[in-house]
Amino acid sequence: MEKVCVIGAGSTKYGKLQDSITDIAVQASVEAIENAGIESKEIQAGYISNVFGIADKQVHLGPVIMSNLGISEVPSLSIESACGSGSVSFREAYANVAAGFYDAVLATGVEKVTHTGTEWTTTYFSYCSDFFYEGGAGASFPGLFASMARAYLAEFKATEEDLAMVAVKNHDNGFLNPKAHLRKKITIDDVMKSAVVASPLKLYDCCPFSDGASAVILCNEKFAKEHTKNYIQVVGSGRGGSPAALQGREHITTIPSTRIAAQAAYKMAGVTPKNIDFAEVHDCFTIAELVDTEDLGFFEKGKAVEAVRQGMTKLNGAIPINPSGGLKSKGHPIGATGIGQVVEVFDQLTGKAGERTVKDAKIGLTHNFGATGASCAVHIFKSV
Amino acid sequence: MQAAQYISSKVYNLSAKEEFINDAKAGKILARKCTKCGYLHLATTYFCQNCGNRGFENVSIEGKGTVVTYTIITVPPAGYEKYTPYAWVVIKLDSADLRISGFMRNIKSPSDLPLGTKAKVSGYDELGIHIEKL
Repeated sequence: MEKVCVIGAGSTKYGKLQDSITDIAVQASVEAIENAGIESKEIQAGYISNVFGIADKQVHLGPVIMSNLGISEVPSLSIESACGSGSVSFREAYANVAAGFYDAVLATGVEKVTHTGTEWTTTYFSYCSDFFYEGGAGASFPGLFASMARAYLAEFKATEEDLAMVAVKNHDNGFLNPKAHLRKKITIDDVMKSAVVASPLKLYDCCPFSDGASAVILCNEKFAKEHTKNYIQVVGSGRGGSPAALQGREHITTIPSTRIAAQAAYKMAGVTPKNIDFAEVHDCFTIAELVDTEDLGFFEKGKAVEAVRQGMTKLNGAIPINPSGGLKSKGHPIGATGIGQVVEVFDQLTGKAGERTVKDAKIGLTHNFGATGASCAVHIFKSV
Repeated sequence: MQAAQYISSKVYNLSAKEEFINDAKAGKILARKCTKCGYLHLATTYFCQNCGNRGFENVSIEGKGTVVTYTIITVPPAGYEKYTPYAWVVIKLDSADLRISGFMRNIKSPSDLPLGTKAKVSGYDELGIHIEKL
C-alpha cells in the first residue's frame, strides 16, 4: 500500500450561504488546490460527498464540479452516507490512493439546505433514520439523540447541565474559528433556558442546520514530497456499522460502529487512544460527544461526564475535543462535515489553526458518523 | 429441511412488512427465530445476525413491555404537527430479548412517562407503529 498524505485543504464559511451548492463546492475545491500548490490538471479523480443535492436542484455533482475546475475528463462520483458522507468519501479516496490507482485526488464535501426551512430540513433529515421504525413513527433526529440522552442520564447519573457544558466548551472553541457558523460564546444558563426541541434536548444542545463546503487533496507520499513541505500523513483508517435503528442496539448509550471503526484505525496506526493529541468528533448533539469520546476509548463508559466537568476536553485540557468548535458551533453541513474535520486536523498539524491551536499536537483523530451512528469512519493523522 | 421450506414459501414475497404490520395492528410483534441458533430478530431481517443462517420460523410475540427510553418531540417532522407534543418511545418486550420503538400520543412532560412504565404495541397507521401506556 502507498502511504497517503493530505497536502491541501479549503473550506467555505459554514452557515446560511447565498451561493449555489455547486458554487460553494467549487470555492472550497479551488482553495484546497491552491493551498496544496498544485494544478487542477494534476487531480486524477474526484470524490464528492453530499446528501441533499436535490434540495438545491443539483445531483450528479461530481462532473459539474470537475467541469468547473477545468478537468471535465477526470472521473468522479458522489457518496451519500447521511451525516457521515464526508468521512466515508474520504475513506474511499484514501483507499484508492493507497491502492495505487491514483497519485492525487480531490475529496470535496458539500451541503446546501438552510433555504428549505426548519420543518423541511427536519423532515429530510429524518429520511436518514431507519424510516419504517423511526422517522416514519414521528422521530426527528434530535428525538433519536434525545432518546439516547435520556437513557444516558438515567444510567450514569448525569444531568442536563452536564450536557450543556459540552455545548459551552464547543462554543468557546468555535468563537476562535473564523469559519464557524455559530461564532459566539454561550453559558450553561443560555442552554438550559433555550427552547426544548426533543426532551431532554434543547435548542442549544443541537448543532445548527448549516450550508457549507470543505475540500482536501489526498496523494501518495512521492507526490506530496514533490509538491510541498506542508503536509500530513494518514496513518489510520477504519470503518464500521451499527444496527440502523436504535431499537436494534442492546446498549442504546453505545454506538457500535464507532468502536469498530476506532479499533481498526488504532490498529492500523499502531497507536492507542492515549497517543491521540486532539480529536474532532461527531457532536451533532451534546449527548453524542459524551458517547463518542467513550466509544473512541478516551474515557471509560459513563466517565465522559466527569471528564467534561473537570475540563479535560477543553482546548487546553488533557485531550482537547473539537478544537474547531465541532458540529455544535462550527456547524454541520452534513455532506461536508467529515471533510471539514480533516481540514481542521490539517490546519492544526500544519500550524494554521491560529488562536485555537492545540499546543504541541502531532497526532489528530477524526470521527464522523451517519444518522445515529449506523455508519462511521475514523481516521488518524500524523504531522511529518 | 426447514430452511428450504421457508425459502420455497417466501422467497418470491421477500417483504414481511405486510405480515409485520398486520401483527402490529393486533398488538403483536412478528419476529423471526433462527432455525439454527435460535436468535430472535424483528421480521424485517432476512439472514441471522448471529450465525448467518437463512432459515427462520415466524414467532408472533405479545407486544407488551417496559419503556427503556423515549423523547417528547416539540419540533416535529412534517405530518406530525397536530399531534405535537408526542413521544417516540423504545420498549423492551417482556417475553423476548427484543426492543421495539414507536409513536405515543398525549405525552406532554417526562412526568407522564417515567422510565420503566409498562406499555404495549397498539396499532399501525400512517403515523407508524403505535405504542400506548398499559
